[in-house]
Amino acid sequence: MTRHDPERRKLFRLPASRRRLGSEIDRELHFHIEGRIDELVARGYSRDAAEREVFERFGDVTSVREECEEIDVMTHRRRELEELRAALARDVRHAMRGLARRPAFSAVVVLTLALGIGATTAIFTLLDAVVLRPLPYPSPERLVVIQHPVPGVGDDHRWGMSQAGYFYFRKHAKSFANIGVFTRGTTNITMPDGAERTDMASVSASALDVLNARPHLGRLFTDDDNRPDAAGVVVLGYHFWQQRFNADPQIVGKSITLASTPYEIVGVMSPAFDLPDYRAQIWMPQRLDPDAPAQNAHYLQAVARLRPGVDIAAAQADAAGLTSRLPEEFPLAYSRGFMEESRFTVLLEPLRDFVIGGVRRTLWILLGAVSIVLIIACANVANLFLVRAESRGREVAIRTALGASRSHLAGHYLAESLVLSVLGGIGGAALAYLAMRALLVLDPSSVPRLAELSFGWRPVAVAFVVALGIGGLLALLPLLKLSVTGVDVATLREGGRAQTASRRQLTARSTLIAAQMALAVMLLAAAGLMLRTFDRLRSVHPGVDTSNLLTFDVVLPFSRYGGIGLRGTATYGPSFRYYREMLPRLAALPDVESVAITTALPIQDSGGCAAVYVESQQSANRDAAPCLPAVIASPGYFTTMGITVRGQAPTWSDMESKTGGVVVSRAFAERMWPGEDAIGKRLRPNGFGEPYYHVVGVASDVRAAGLDKPPSEMVYYPMIPIEGAPLWQPPRGASFVIRTRGVDPLALVPTVRRTLSGFDREVPMASIATMETVVAKSLAKTTFAMILLAIAGGMALILSAVGIYGVISYTVDQRRAEIGVRMALGARRGQVGRMVVTQSLRVAACGIGVGLAGAIFTTRIMQSLLYGVSPTDPITLVAVTLVLVAIAALASYAPARRATAVDPVEVLRRE
Amino acid sequence: MPPADLDLIRGTLDLLILKTLSWGPMHGLAVLRWVEHVTGQRLQITEGALYPALHRMEQKGWLDAEWSYTERNREAKFYKLTASGRRQLAAELSKWSRYTEAVNLVITAQVAR
Repeated sequence: MTRHDPERRKLFRLPASRRRLGSEIDRELHFHIEGRIDELVARGYSRDAAEREVFERFGDVTSVREECEEIDVMTHRRRELEELRAALARDVRHAMRGLARRPAFSAVVVLTLALGIGATTAIFTLLDAVVLRPLPYPSPERLVVIQHPVPGVGDDHRWGMSQAGYFYFRKHAKSFANIGVFTRGTTNITMPDGAERTDMASVSASALDVLNARPHLGRLFTDDDNRPDAAGVVVLGYHFWQQRFNADPQIVGKSITLASTPYEIVGVMSPAFDLPDYRAQIWMPQRLDPDAPAQNAHYLQAVARLRPGVDIAAAQADAAGLTSRLPEEFPLAYSRGFMEESRFTVLLEPLRDFVIGGVRRTLWILLGAVSIVLIIACANVANLFLVRAESRGREVAIRTALGASRSHLAGHYLAESLVLSVLGGIGGAALAYLAMRALLVLDPSSVPRLAELSFGWRPVAVAFVVALGIGGLLALLPLLKLSVTGVDVATLREGGRAQTASRRQLTARSTLIAAQMALAVMLLAAAGLMLRTFDRLRSVHPGVDTSNLLTFDVVLPFSRYGGIGLRGTATYGPSFRYYREMLPRLAALPDVESVAITTALPIQDSGGCAAVYVESQQSANRDAAPCLPAVIASPGYFTTMGITVRGQAPTWSDMESKTGGVVVSRAFAERMWPGEDAIGKRLRPNGFGEPYYHVVGVASDVRAAGLDKPPSEMVYYPMIPIEGAPLWQPPRGASFVIRTRGVDPLALVPTVRRTLSGFDREVPMASIATMETVVAKSLAKTTFAMILLAIAGGMALILSAVGIYGVISYTVDQRRAEIGVRMALGARRGQVGRMVVTQSLRVAACGIGVGLAGAIFTTRIMQSLLYGVSPTDPITLVAVTLVLVAIAALASYAPARRATAVDPVEVLRRE
Repeated sequence: MPPADLDLIRGTLDLLILKTLSWGPMHGLAVLRWVEHVTGQRLQITEGALYPALHRMEQKGWLDAEWSYTERNREAKFYKLTASGRRQLAAELSKWSRYTEAVNLVITAQVAR
């Protein structure tokens, strides 16, 4: 019998073709048939008879042959695949062993790639969750928000819908499958263990239909629930039901006390459903009265679903047509004059754009920034690969001499770079995961939809696709070099002595470094601009003394403190008495210096706006009447906030005797009465007749609308309106401000809470924050962009430094001989060192030059993120240039030292 | 050539081939002859079943095939049991004995009256 050796067989197997497989089967069957015939002939059959007998028994030879051939072809294919896998596994194993032998090289490559891939993956995950992924509603592309821009009231002012508008649109608009409205707010819920403020939403049944809400238990709302006379029902949010009611399955039909009024629980909302970017714990029907007289009050947020096949432009035209007919339909609410002055129009915006808002641009800029980091990382790794490919010239030559084909080498390089890049990808995914966790801790409240952020398979997939792409590209590098220069067998003859790197190779690497520098300049410029913006914003004085200031909100229940006052103080009493009673109690607490209330906390609350008419101007120039937030301030407000007042702010007794004294901000005073003293002047809110309030004080300016906005024009009204004036709603909701005597404001919270519940246990504290936090939060968007850009810039800086160090240090090693000769010929050490540093600086200068041009071109897209600096801010650009020049010089310092330490005698002896 | 007494029970062909090859590498004709010889011609394998079965078992990795020369110096394709083929043989043998035991139990059982 023959020896059987699968290894050898594999080695010498002929290239299989269908024909060869077929002919083998023919030979096998032929042998069989011949053998059978011989057998019969030996037993005395004639040749012919034997043949007949054999074929008869065999049956259809062709079909047997075909069956066998089919099996063999399949067998062959499987074997080929298996061998390919085995070859790949062998290459990968080999690559791993090779990389393990060079731990420094491998670690640097993997770490560099992990940094780049991690940063890119993290930001992509964020962008994906916030911007790219559709909103969690069915056919979200058909959802739009209906708003009413009123440029006549304020540049960016957009109003929601009015009740009458809602019914009018629902009846006449043809473009929408349905229109829904909702309002968001908070309510006081009284539980056995005390009262708390809870986020709630009031919705029309149609809004739930538009967004396709489903109940988890019980039912949701019907149009009847929205009627003003309907019984009080609520639906609990899923999480609220889980946490506060222990997921009680019998909850439907039970009662709950909201704002001191009992409501029946009719259902629990499905866990998957939220309003756009808002988690309501309590759902209530929005009260909507189709028979109420039309009012120009646009307090409803409207969301609509387009009919299938209707595009947003057609719907916009439809809505615009309806809006223009409002004055005819409701002449009392929408007078011609109002329409002209406010330039009241309608605007349909895709719901997604409405939710995402301006953060889309920030996130794309950040993705651009981290992509640059990734490119820089790749450039570094590419450089390392090039260096390595050169030092491996001898190894490659030996392999080629031993018969390794180009495809063998390709497989080897591919395996090596894939192993490295996949390891980098794994590290990157891990880094991205950590970065996401860190980001959620940072909690940028300026970024919407963060609740939907999850680290699922998508980021991991991104990390791996990026890693594999990079791996493939890196594998091309040595191959490219191979195909350009060819395998240099002469390397072998020279005994592997190092040669000076060819000029072309050096140029390639210097170009990579220069490109890196250029990208780093652009990133650092962006980071620098954000830093400057942040610095500018931080140095803006908000107009209030934010230190040692505690703020919190209360809302007094309507049933006991409410009632719309018409004239007189009867219905005004309860809420006023609450504050009148509460403020001295809080002021008497230890460590409290002073305390006050306001209806609009600077920076935090934008509030609505009310037109302000100044006496003697109103007839001449009605349009000029500014629409300002109607802020009510209690006595002590200005001293507590650290706002200085010229004149005399109203006291408790002024308010109680309804003298109608108001304080105006300096910005307001200077615009309305330029060059005159504002004190003693008169003004009134809204368009109704007498009486006028009179200005008793001018307050220093506050940037109430945000640090990046100009000082606000403000009118601070007293808590009780002037005698004879129409009454606004009593301030049932207000912010308390408490100035402490140097102790941490948050340390006061327990005693303040006890004092509040001691007076009325159904009025909880909410939105507790220090004023410093309120200001910091208003900078969240800037802080977020700044921190991330600074991280990206820092990474770019480090990677560039490593890159330039690597290349310079390599060239010094390559030029040892040349340096030795120079020194033997009399070059001084200083000259040699300068030569090295100059080389580094020359490369850096090219990169920085290109980078500056690029930065001037690209930072323009950041305009909307900046405050107080131009996108081409010279200080930033100069600073960035200096930093990079310094980095280039520093990175070449160590190689330069090494160059000066070259001993010419030793070098020459070796030559 | 006398006709065979018994039809091959389905599924036993693999077992017969594996067992036959356990004696050493053989070509297809030899496998056929061996089975006929051992059973005294009572069991006959048809070529139409044998060759596809051999090729399929080669694909499954139970057999290895190699071209070599017979004693009479004729070139033939020899099949040899691989390690996984031996494992398969053991599995088929135990399956077969369990099967025949079960069949025997049924056909020898007495009904209690």
